[in-house]
Amino acid sequence: MNLLARVGSYAFPALLLGVPIYAYVKGIPVYETFVKGAGEGFRIALSTLPYLVAVFVGISCFRGSGALDVLSRWLGFILTPLGVPADLVPLVAIRPISGSGALALTGDLLRTYGPDSPTGLLASILQGATDTTFYVVTLYFGSVGIRKTGRALLSSLAGDACGFIAGFMAWKALVR
Amino acid sequence: MNVVWIAMIASGCLTALVTGRVDVMMSSVLDGAQQAVELVIGLTGMFCLWVGIEKLAEEAGLIDALARGVGPVLGLLFPHLKGRRKPLGTVAASVLSNVFGLSSSTPLGLKAMAEMKEVLGDGDEGIDSMSTLAIVNAAGFCMFPSGIIAMRAALGSRAPALISGSTAVAGLAATAGALLTYRLLGRVFRERRG
Repeated sequence: MNLLARVGSYAFPALLLGVPIYAYVKGIPVYETFVKGAGEGFRIALSTLPYLVAVFVGISCFRGSGALDVLSRWLGFILTPLGVPADLVPLVAIRPISGSGALALTGDLLRTYGPDSPTGLLASILQGATDTTFYVVTLYFGSVGIRKTGRALLSSLAGDACGFIAGFMAWKALVR
Repeated sequence: MNVVWIAMIASGCLTALVTGRVDVMMSSVLDGAQQAVELVIGLTGMFCLWVGIEKLAEEAGLIDALARGVGPVLGLLFPHLKGRRKPLGTVAASVLSNVFGLSSSTPLGLKAMAEMKEVLGDGDEGIDSMSTLAIVNAAGFCMFPSGIIAMRAALGSRAPALISGSTAVAGLAATAGALLTYRLLGRVFRERRG
């Protein structure tokens, strides 16, 4: 795992340093080219704004009204008998919907139970297992102006379910 | 998405009315709209940085080299991109960023979406390829989930990276499950349209 950790933390500086130097040696006007790309990045980021606002409004309506809590209570009826700690059920419900919400909840769980406790480990696994589906699908399709995203969204949610089940089983093996 | 969006709003408003939390819901919705704008503005600098670096890599021929290197493997997931180096290289850069837990994954992913739309259009071929990238990155298979590991370390874990094997297994399962569901749903969605 140490090797992977090192790859992860060196990849950023390696790209930041390596790519411009390599381009410079190849005779590319590095400053102008970077600025051109940065302008493109600026337009891409801004083009996602209306889509993100729409989805955030939907999600915060769902969360703020307490409908999410109702959903996680229903989920609890299924998940708790299967051996998922009751305090983790809200995390399962919120993980695909809100990245910041899930991160805050994971932080609370790790502080309450300790990061190396069984509950803390499962919270970490569920948090790290998948990305925030609603956010990613909105961002990716929004940036190219495509609105028909139902099939991709449903598939990703099914994928999240598979990821949670696999994460749960890996956790069972880990804490046994 | 139309159904999902209206369902979120309708169920939210209904719950708020039933439980008498209309005020809370209203301020939450306004906060949500503002958060979306703040998020985009906060991300814009990072987008500029990574797409700028990517442009340099592209001009220097690095993206092309990447497409040649991992193209044959990615070609299995993206059959319509076979032999088209430009989207393929950017797709590879985005997916690899995700695997290593780098922030460049999203900006490069969106650039790849734009390139795929340009090359393949927004018919079935384009939509399939774009959806594949979106669901692969939404499943977020990651060898080194740096965010959660940093959080565990900050909260005093004795083995912050202990979970990375489990998250990798879960991420693989999520990716496979999502791709499989996408294939299975193909028939349903095509019938509805036709």
